[in-house]
Amino acid sequence: MPGRWPISAALWVRPVAVRTGTPGVAPAAADAALETRVLATGMWLWLAADTFFFAAWWFSFFYLKAFNNNQAWRPAGVDHPALAFGLLVLALVILMAITFWLASRLLYGSFLFSLLAPVSLVLAIAACIFQGYGMWHLGFGMTQGGYASVFAGLTGAWLIQLVGATGWLATVLIQAREGGDTVVRAHSAATFAWFPLYLAAIGVINFVVLYLVR
Amino acid sequence: MGLRIEPADRPHAIRLLIIWVILSVIGVIAALQIPYPPGNQSIQGDDQAKTLQLLTALATPVFIGVVMMVIYSAIFFRRNTPELVDGPPMLGHTPVQVAWIGISAILVLFLAFVGITTLASDGVARTVGVPGRAIGGSTTGGAAQNQASELEVQVIAQQWYFTYRFPSYGGVETTHLEVPVDRPLDIHVTSLDIIHSWWAYELGVKADANPGVDNEFHVTPQKTGSFTVRCAELCGLWHGQMSDTEGKVVSQSDFDTWIAQQQKDYAVIASAVPSYAPSYFPAPLTKGS
Amino acid sequence: MVVPSAVTERHLALPTGLITAILLAIPGYFFGVWLGTLFGLFDDQNTGVILGYGFAVIGFLIGLGFLNYPLGRLMGWNMQPVPVYSDVDAVAAAARQGWTRYFSLSLDHKVIGLQYLVTILIMLLFGGIGAMLIRTSLLVPDASITPPGQYIMLIGLHAVMMIFITSAVILGPFGNYLVPLMIGARRMAFPRLEALSFWVVPPAAVILAAAIFWGGFPTGWTGYPPLSEQAGQGMDSYIVGFVLIAIALVTSGINMLATIITMRAPGMTWTRLPMFVWGIFTTAILGLLAAPVLATALIQLALDRTVQTSFFLASNGGSNYLWENLFWFFGHPEVYIFILPAFGIIMDIVPHFARKPLWGYRTGVVGLFGVTLLSWFVWQHHLFVSGIAPVLRPFYMLSTELISIPTGIIFLVTLGTLWRARVWYTVPMLFCMGFLFNFLIGGISGVYLSDVPTDVTLHGSYFSMAHFHYTIVGGEIFAMMAACYYWLPKMTGKMLSPTIGRVHFWVMFIAFNSTFFPLFIAGILDMPRRVSVYNPALQGLNQWVTYSAYALFGSMLLFAANLIYSWFFVTRPALANPWQVRGLEWQVPTPVPVNNFDRVPLIVAGPYDYGIPNARPVADFGGLVGATGGG
Repeated sequence: MPGRWPISAALWVRPVAVRTGTPGVAPAAADAALETRVLATGMWLWLAADTFFFAAWWFSFFYLKAFNNNQAWRPAGVDHPALAFGLLVLALVILMAITFWLASRLLYGSFLFSLLAPVSLVLAIAACIFQGYGMWHLGFGMTQGGYASVFAGLTGAWLIQLVGATGWLATVLIQAREGGDTVVRAHSAATFAWFPLYLAAIGVINFVVLYLVR
Repeated sequence: MGLRIEPADRPHAIRLLIIWVILSVIGVIAALQIPYPPGNQSIQGDDQAKTLQLLTALATPVFIGVVMMVIYSAIFFRRNTPELVDGPPMLGHTPVQVAWIGISAILVLFLAFVGITTLASDGVARTVGVPGRAIGGSTTGGAAQNQASELEVQVIAQQWYFTYRFPSYGGVETTHLEVPVDRPLDIHVTSLDIIHSWWAYELGVKADANPGVDNEFHVTPQKTGSFTVRCAELCGLWHGQMSDTEGKVVSQSDFDTWIAQQQKDYAVIASAVPSYAPSYFPAPLTKGS
Repeated sequence: MVVPSAVTERHLALPTGLITAILLAIPGYFFGVWLGTLFGLFDDQNTGVILGYGFAVIGFLIGLGFLNYPLGRLMGWNMQPVPVYSDVDAVAAAARQGWTRYFSLSLDHKVIGLQYLVTILIMLLFGGIGAMLIRTSLLVPDASITPPGQYIMLIGLHAVMMIFITSAVILGPFGNYLVPLMIGARRMAFPRLEALSFWVVPPAAVILAAAIFWGGFPTGWTGYPPLSEQAGQGMDSYIVGFVLIAIALVTSGINMLATIITMRAPGMTWTRLPMFVWGIFTTAILGLLAAPVLATALIQLALDRTVQTSFFLASNGGSNYLWENLFWFFGHPEVYIFILPAFGIIMDIVPHFARKPLWGYRTGVVGLFGVTLLSWFVWQHHLFVSGIAPVLRPFYMLSTELISIPTGIIFLVTLGTLWRARVWYTVPMLFCMGFLFNFLIGGISGVYLSDVPTDVTLHGSYFSMAHFHYTIVGGEIFAMMAACYYWLPKMTGKMLSPTIGRVHFWVMFIAFNSTFFPLFIAGILDMPRRVSVYNPALQGLNQWVTYSAYALFGSMLLFAANLIYSWFFVTRPALANPWQVRGLEWQVPTPVPVNNFDRVPLIVAGPYDYGIPNARPVADFGGLVGATGGG
């Protein structure tokens, strides 16, 4: 492809047909079984890595809280954002994760999947928007001590992963339609379902840490 | 499964054992002759030098053994035929493996035991009122636990020099450190800006200076003389320049004279510096704005 | 399940390649800077610089074509997955041929391995020049050759560049190239992640080098705040570069582990796995789990520097101890990321040239896993004098000293393999012997540092600097050289000159020891690390070290000369199996076909079964047609 570079610069985001074939043909049964194992293994490895990422944040929370250097861990006037708001986002994410998990595991390919999966996407987008809004209205400034720092960093890191998961969810959904390549790889949807579930679990821990721990 | 040496192994094993014993004896004797830093200006430094000596004496046979095996196999286990020949198919030998792991475990546990007792003896020594035997005591000791005979010294680091305050002498602040001999020192290291590390080489003390932290170390100088102070944690542009060769261990009477002179000089600037505190919080480092 | 018959495959008409990547990276940088200024948080531009680097990397990756697949899938187009395992023709058709494949996004693990190798060697030259400038500056005990500002910049650039290199120097080139060949797989489990794990490394190096334009950063590789918050915009290079390396470690960790777990050929049982694969396996575990912790710490540092949070500012509710804990929780497993693949190389090469079975295979594997496990519990030995939790010092002293038991096992296994062998002393074997000597010194000096009373004197001095150079250069780089002389014939199809190789080994071995052994003494005699000004009494010692360091650099030039000589001037084509060994990777033709194996091999024996009467060949290559995997 490098030879076409100046001309095709104009065609950047235009899809072109490059090859006709039968990409939708189901791979050999053994290949499919292997791919299931590969995807599942990869997902579990990623979740393990991500756990260390979040654990480092929780460690930061309790470490700085214990130090309370200069009595500035949580200066007077700094409190967590509204409890109801945090609960709302959390509820949306949990609902989204469970909906998609059930839909992809039990109902894949059925009518109910095509009904429930978009619902989970809408929930995910709503959660992202609400949390993003929340990030701009924390009620405290970044410079106001350790708690403010950890809250912004941890919630921000979680939100970025949630946005990524939402994009991935949209991809799985789009590819799940007839003719999409996920049709022949149902397990990729089922494997992905662990990630929203995981993020929801992390969200619960974050909520407990950031809102409830005094 | 007993420790059975195959006939083919025997000449090699005997030869190696003899060479190893001879070389190790020579090596250990040589290792014990070397003077080890940081010398014996303080009790703690002496401990460190002795531990270094012990480690070297233990490491020498290990080092000689492995290097000897490497060189021996390079000489005697070399292929001397033009074509490739497979060696004997030895898949392992459980007793040898168990022995190797066991010996290394014993060595390691012994070293850890020595290290831990050297560390712990500090806490014990302080409660019975004799000089500590090592640095690195716990920071939990309150004022009540401090021995009356201990001289408190606060080391304040900033870019790029150390100053010293003596709370028992009205918080007087000096630019060099002089300490009395044979008196336990209770050293509190802190920083005004970034991380430094106060390294009094001959005294055998190294303690990081952290902003807002009171890092406590104990040392008892036992010989008069001078010592060098360096910064041992990268602290910016003039890190290498952050040294002072004018540290002194002096007699109690010389120390009294010196500190009285410092207090007199200090009276002029006493009003300009903040009053003594265990640590000082620098203003937040905001950049820009 | 609906299976459509013929579907037109579509994808973005993105002209992918290195040129596009660079052309997108540049506007990406300026867009980021503009965005950062738009937020206008503070006028010192840290936000702009960090965002600039971030968008430059994103532009670079898009230009290479990393966006095509995910975006195409998001658009609902029918993307062709990486050719499946049994589809031999599709694999061949999908692979781009010719030299241009080395300059574009390739999903072939063999291409990625060579891309990694060349990139790493170029970075090594850069880092090595840094080392030479540092040593030149230390010819005099004052800062008259190099001003302190430049000296400290050199320290930082040399350190971080070398850390980037050593994180990947075996895992990248040799891990990617050899693991599928050694386990009988046609490709990696996640070729796109694999490609990503390579393509973030060149931007990381370039971004790091860009710190020069900001005057460098003053912190060395440890990046301790608050110094790193006081630092200028050069520090942003450190942050972004290290984040990219963390991404590389996580992605390659996932890829390597998933590959080794799921894609072993039939019959490749866990006890038949070559030791090199075990080395990579344990390394991947450490990279996968340690790098995210580093990412957290770096994000916190970036937030402190941009939006003025206070994770590490004691006066505002933070603590610099937080960084020290997080950094070393990553940092200590990181040093085993350097050395575990080297252990794997040594234990793999030695039996092949000793022509004896590995002596105590299972014990060796246990040793690797012992190091992996213990490496999580030792990080505070870097903080013995920091004032953190003095009551925990005995625990970390014990755990650190315990780690010498599994490390000792590596020596046990290697020496046992050499016992009564008929060793063929080739150049790779020489480097293995050099490794044993150097790493022994590195390991023993580590015990000195793990003991709290002696660490008080040795910590932060040239002693610890000499210690980790002995383990990393004397250990990892020597092992990497062994790997180069051993496996490059397979990877490039050309033998390296053994004559130059032998000269290279002896010059490097002698110069290395002559450079770093005196530094133990410098450290014991009160010379702290990273100083441009030192005790004048040590000038003679330092001059000796500097001249030795020049010789060490010269030996690396000899290596480069050997590569050029043997690749371009007097080429000797490599046979498929020039060393006549049993390793599976040597049973495929040279150059390695795109599919690796025409048919999936059926593994019937271990790789080290030398001298065993009636030993079976390592694999049956007329084996199954179909999937790999199982075992």
